[in-house]
Amino acid sequence: MIANLVVGGLAAGCLYAMVGIAIVIVLKITDIANFAQGEMAMLTTFFAYWLMESAGLPWWQAVLIAVLFGLVQGIVVQQVVIRPLIGGPVLSAIIATLGLNIVLNSVAGLIWGHQTYTFPSPFTFLAPFMVGGVPIAVDSVVNIAAGLTIVVAMTLFLRLTWTGLGLRAASQNQTVARLMGISITRTSAIAWGLGGLVGGIAGVLVAPSLFLDTNLMSALLIKAFAGGVLGGLNSLIGVFLGCLALGVAENLASAYLSPSFADAITFIIIIVVLTIRPEGILGRVKVRKA
Amino acid sequence: MSAAADMMEVSPAPASRNWAAAVVGLCLLLACVAPLGLNGYGLYLLTLTEIFVLVALGLNLLTGYAGQISLCHSAFFGVGAYATAILTQKAGVPYLLSLLLGALLTTAIGALAAIPALRLKNIYLAIATLGFGVVLQKIIFEWRGLTGGGGGLALTAPRIAGYELGATGLYYLTLALMSVGLFGAWNVSRGRTGRALLVIKDSEIAAGSLGIHAAQYKVIAFAISAFYASIAGGLFAYLVRYINPESFSVGLSISFLSMVVIGGLGTIGGSILGAAFYVIVPELLRGIKDAPGLVFGLLLVVVMVFMPQGLWGMLRRIWRRSAG
Repeated sequence: MIANLVVGGLAAGCLYAMVGIAIVIVLKITDIANFAQGEMAMLTTFFAYWLMESAGLPWWQAVLIAVLFGLVQGIVVQQVVIRPLIGGPVLSAIIATLGLNIVLNSVAGLIWGHQTYTFPSPFTFLAPFMVGGVPIAVDSVVNIAAGLTIVVAMTLFLRLTWTGLGLRAASQNQTVARLMGISITRTSAIAWGLGGLVGGIAGVLVAPSLFLDTNLMSALLIKAFAGGVLGGLNSLIGVFLGCLALGVAENLASAYLSPSFADAITFIIIIVVLTIRPEGILGRVKVRKA
Repeated sequence: MSAAADMMEVSPAPASRNWAAAVVGLCLLLACVAPLGLNGYGLYLLTLTEIFVLVALGLNLLTGYAGQISLCHSAFFGVGAYATAILTQKAGVPYLLSLLLGALLTTAIGALAAIPALRLKNIYLAIATLGFGVVLQKIIFEWRGLTGGGGGLALTAPRIAGYELGATGLYYLTLALMSVGLFGAWNVSRGRTGRALLVIKDSEIAAGSLGIHAAQYKVIAFAISAFYASIAGGLFAYLVRYINPESFSVGLSISFLSMVVIGGLGTIGGSILGAAFYVIVPELLRGIKDAPGLVFGLLLVVVMVFMPQGLWGMLRRIWRRSAG
């Protein structure tokens, strides 16, 4: 019983984690909480769906093209909307992403309408893995694997490449980074591009289990933020584990404490954790000299 | 540089202060005669704007002055609405008294919400307050015996001293309370508390070294802002005459925050403009086929991209330029 609940929670948690990682890449480097991340991913997923259904491409090709579309979309959004706001109040940029969220949602509604589509996945009909008598859906395994791969790849990218070093420098202190010859607009564009790319992967993996419609991401976005905060936004692995923990906590709370209060209980846990550890469980305290 | 700009905001030249007072007076005068020239729906929209102005005034003290993000204001708004409605309808308390009692209850809850805020910042604070809001909303939803749960609560017209308060009466009550709210917010922001909050926003360390008790002021800011939201909620309940837990979701909190940012953080005029923008612009866009959401979203983006300091900041810049 418990094992089933935990596995179910992990499956839900890794959906949160995929979106959470996309949000955190942008948040870490540009300080902007991107409320449009969910809708950007939704649009990418619809694009993949269109490639498969109307252009007749196979899953792999459609997803690959769509994810590249996500990357370009992120860069375009950064150049058009965010770039003029660099140096302004952070809240203004956040509200701008909120406006973008509404715009993208309406655009998708205009093109694809508000009905629900079934997004195909090559993993749905495979037999589930059995681990110690507990069935684990292949979808969930793929999602966890994809999440871990993204975390590892991003961490390596940030640690081992010059571009990654620049991104980390910009996230620590933009003024000093600029003095060292790092272009803030360029690092910001890269961060948004990466966010769009990871968000696209998340959308494509999330869509088969949630069904594809224009509100695909609205529930996930807040949960992803919450999970990220729980784990600590400073480290990608913290975000990943925080989101998994959130999924498990939700499942256990609804089974053992109260189904109708599951959301509330989860948030109480988050508030308590944050009151004790303000930077999240795995977060490091960022020393601020102010 | 920004500190210098803030100082300018705190004490503008006397001439411009007179001008501002004249403009505010003119607007209030216009608002007084507005019901003569408006139909029922127009009056409803204007009342709604004034209610949102109240919320925005409170939230602006918290977010614009003290620099604390809150995503639980829809819940404060909701608690105020439910407390006022239940006290009036079920306990038979006079309307004005139950507005006040509801607001005192919400103020206490607001002070409670400040506890996590004492240690949290930015997005962490946003999520903690969001969680607080979700919990409050859930309590309203599940306390069926008192609140009617998901079925909501239908209300009859409020009475003040035996007289039934119609749409026009409620409009004038809202206008009066909003004017008091404006005066209060103006006083708080210019007084010791407002200055303390501004310093806390810029640097808590600096505030501490000046002898400002940051924790105490944050609790005060949360409490005042919850008070405003609750009074607004109590008015809102009787404007729409039907309340439901769903009306007070996170989405509404995000709208409140956008009002404050769109209008202009840390300015009283900004709260008014932001609330008006949020009520009136979607109405103007209703005629556009298919895409009211698209245009509204684009407007949000455009306003932020071209006026990062909000509508009020833009107006003030134009004013200064034309003044020389």
